[in-house]
Amino acid sequence: MTDDQGQTLRLEIDSDLANTTLIAMAVRGLCAMTALSPVEVNRVELCVVEIVNNAIEHAYGHEKGHKVEVAAHLDQSGLTLTVSDWGKPMVKGKLESASLPVELDDPALWLDSGRGLPIVQSLMDSVCYQRDGDKNSFVMLKHIKG
Amino acid sequence: MAFEAKSEAGYTIVSLDETRLDASISEPFRLYLFDQIDSGANQVVIDLGSVRFMDSSGLGVLVAALKKMAGKGALKLAAPQPAVSDLFNLTSMNKLFTISSTVAEAIEG
Repeated sequence: MTDDQGQTLRLEIDSDLANTTLIAMAVRGLCAMTALSPVEVNRVELCVVEIVNNAIEHAYGHEKGHKVEVAAHLDQSGLTLTVSDWGKPMVKGKLESASLPVELDDPALWLDSGRGLPIVQSLMDSVCYQRDGDKNSFVMLKHIKG
Repeated sequence: MAFEAKSEAGYTIVSLDETRLDASISEPFRLYLFDQIDSGANQVVIDLGSVRFMDSSGLGVLVAALKKMAGKGALKLAAPQPAVSDLFNLTSMNKLFTISSTVAEAIEG
């Protein structure tokens, strides 16, 4: 869709982790149209994959047969990626409390999960989580310097 | 998905014939690595040369394997591609792992 307010691409996959690559490749293709650097494109890909994974793993509990929608909107402010699901909403405060702890000295504290959200927070210019009826949306904005 | 292990100079070299180490293959890869460790591999190099993309699930598997090896041997990473190196740097996991540019360097080091 194209209008004065920018361009939007909507993608939909079934809630299967194997389908995340389809979203990743499509978003990479979209990023190639922008002035994002190769490093930034890799990082945007990482962010969208992390949030789609979260929707499949946490909102749908790894259950296939559910819809995950990704809307990519390009306008003058940058690239906005909205990942939506219709499953279990994210626990309140989880986004705000996300952090990347590094405990180098004690192997018992080396986390083997829970890095997705803090990675996305650190790489995107802004993130927010919205609930509209039964639709949950994670919105990420990446500014694009012309 | 394809994972392979071979012995070289006292090391078990684990390689992936995959360009993406993501949530869709992280669990089978974790099981494969744990199986190698349980079978006695205590000097392990993971060759990441084919992996162009890794997400936090892939990273989590490597951390889990490192934890499993803790105190019982060595686990090194080799040949990370730019996006993979970037993930290690972003998460400070580059401080936790010994990372070499090539498998040969990992063995020599």
